[in-house]
Amino acid sequence: MEDRVRVVIAEDSVLLREGLTRLLTDRGHDVVAGVGDAEALLKTVDELAAEGALPDVVVADVRMPPTHTDEGVRAAVRLRRTHPGVGVLVLSQYVEEQYATELLAGSSTGVGYLLKDRVADVREFLDAVVRVARGGTALDPEVVAQLLGRSRKQDVLAGLTPREREVLGLMAEGRTNSAVAKQLVVSDGAVEKHVGNIFMKLGLSPSEGDHRRVLAVLAYLRS
Amino acid sequence: MDGGGAVAGRAGGAGWTGRPEGAGREGGTGRAGRGFGGVLLAPVSARAWREFAYVLLSLPLAVAYFSAAITGLSLAAGLLVTFVGIPVLAGVLLMCRGFGWLERARARVMLGAEVADPEPLLTGRPGAGAGGRRGVLGAVAALLKSGSAWRHAVYAVVWFPWAVFAFCTALTLWTTAWSLLLYPLWFWVFPVFTDQPGLQLFQDGDRTLHLDSPAEVALAGFAGLVLVLAAPWVVRGLAAVDLLLVRGLLGPSLLAHRVCELESDRGVVVDTAAADLRRIERELHDGAQARLSALAMGLGLAKEKAAEDPEAAARLVGEAHGEVKLALKELRDLARGIHPAVLTDRGLDAALSSVASRCAVPVAVAVDLPERPAPAIEGIAYFTVCELLRNVSDHAGATAAHVDVWKSGPRLLVRVADDGRGGARPGSGGTGLAGLAERLGAVDGVLVVDSPDGGPTTVTAELPWRSR
Repeated sequence: MEDRVRVVIAEDSVLLREGLTRLLTDRGHDVVAGVGDAEALLKTVDELAAEGALPDVVVADVRMPPTHTDEGVRAAVRLRRTHPGVGVLVLSQYVEEQYATELLAGSSTGVGYLLKDRVADVREFLDAVVRVARGGTALDPEVVAQLLGRSRKQDVLAGLTPREREVLGLMAEGRTNSAVAKQLVVSDGAVEKHVGNIFMKLGLSPSEGDHRRVLAVLAYLRS
Repeated sequence: MDGGGAVAGRAGGAGWTGRPEGAGREGGTGRAGRGFGGVLLAPVSARAWREFAYVLLSLPLAVAYFSAAITGLSLAAGLLVTFVGIPVLAGVLLMCRGFGWLERARARVMLGAEVADPEPLLTGRPGAGAGGRRGVLGAVAALLKSGSAWRHAVYAVVWFPWAVFAFCTALTLWTTAWSLLLYPLWFWVFPVFTDQPGLQLFQDGDRTLHLDSPAEVALAGFAGLVLVLAAPWVVRGLAAVDLLLVRGLLGPSLLAHRVCELESDRGVVVDTAAADLRRIERELHDGAQARLSALAMGLGLAKEKAAEDPEAAARLVGEAHGEVKLALKELRDLARGIHPAVLTDRGLDAALSSVASRCAVPVAVAVDLPERPAPAIEGIAYFTVCELLRNVSDHAGATAAHVDVWKSGPRLLVRVADDGRGGARPGSGGTGLAGLAERLGAVDGVLVVDSPDGGPTTVTAELPWRSR
């Protein structure tokens, strides 16, 4: 596996923690630690940082002890402030656009927010882990749908063709042009054309790089 | 039920007995002590004097209330043919409510008796629609419809004759008593300043009786003493009748009390329902949902491996199969926790036997019911036993327990007894007895805990019987 990443897992259900570990190690990734709550997560990452062995990405459950509410999100937001180099992928039984907004606030490299169910699509999930570890974005389609649905720019969005909306959604999930092309079974060139049209219709200046492009789209949808 | 039991919840029954609670505390300030000394000191106790003053003050107030109320009511009655009578009537009722406020304050200060305010006229519901009209018209309508306002008016009228009687009785009794008691000190006044030898008791033709011999004077003094000692109790009785009137006519109605109680019960029910939903969500999230996620993960991995490593894939599918069976069991347990099917199908006997068989200690179950109660009552009885048996397993350290369910009159009785270490208290950590008592209270049930330190523990729940 050419894309080996170092992962810390924070998940209170032992069952899922083991499952995730197996999933990741099976694909040659390196699970450096598995913890059961947010406090242990922060401590572990701090310790690893002190040893100069920062993980590439942290995979964290939203609901963890002691209150079983949003510890994972709060820990993730803190990690992004204290260790900007570490990607954070948050998993949850339910996705809420509000949490996504909190995660994406400020610097927004290396963030992911996925439904736990996505783990079942092993390849896609592993893609997302690697993408976040490399500083990319991975947003759950449901979050993107919520963002699109709640955006106040409905009139502009209505001006997009159905295919352009599809591309916008996939782009907002954090996918690269080629990934979008593969998903929609079209050529890379066609996707590039769609992206260009979308940016024009939304009035955004086309920016280089997949990642900045995602940010532009998300910022547009949230504003 | 037997002595020494701590009663949690409250006496339910028809719900009308023993009310109004909290409003009925007899003031204890200046309480004349029990026993002989108390009886001797009663005439000079502060409480006796306050009660005497209360009865004396009643007359002028009663005269004022009576004349104001009668005048106002007659005026309003006369004017009722025109529209003007209605606001006048409302004004009179409002005035009577004012009297009531004064009387309650007087009862509080002078008799030390708390009488709760009656239900407010305009129940505060901001933004209420047609039902909650505001302004003068709304206030007039509320006054005319208010049962308590009319009771206040009745009080202003019927209190008057009683106040006159109480005033005369109390004043006569006190003056006679004290003057007789002190008679030995002032009987010399008669021969010196009048042409009588002493106080004249009666005159019949030429036969007269004057209290002038030493024996007669002493007898008069003794009679005075008896009256002085009796007077405070008589006055207390008069004041108690007053207080009855104040409570009955100026306090909140029984209905209002019941409404308050039901409101708080409804709060408990809503809270309980919300807590149950949270619990179910938590159990789903931590149990079946997590297991199914892991299962999906395992099957996903197996799918990936199916081509390259069929053996590993087969192993993963085998593990997933085991996970599915566990998830099913968890869902089954959860469903049983929400509502056990056997309870619906076969009733308490079967359902409780099933619970008992899963309890950590041997439990004997005896259900003796002529018929099945209403589903709601059945459900509460069932979950009460579940909770109590969980306590037995977790806290009691018992070696055996038995559950009895029977019907007694209009009540369903549930008793769980164990031979454990005892010491269970409603409200002590982790036993959930207080919560249980609250839930039972919501249906007018009672929980009685008898659990001396060292055991054994008997918890009895009493529920109203409702037939299905």
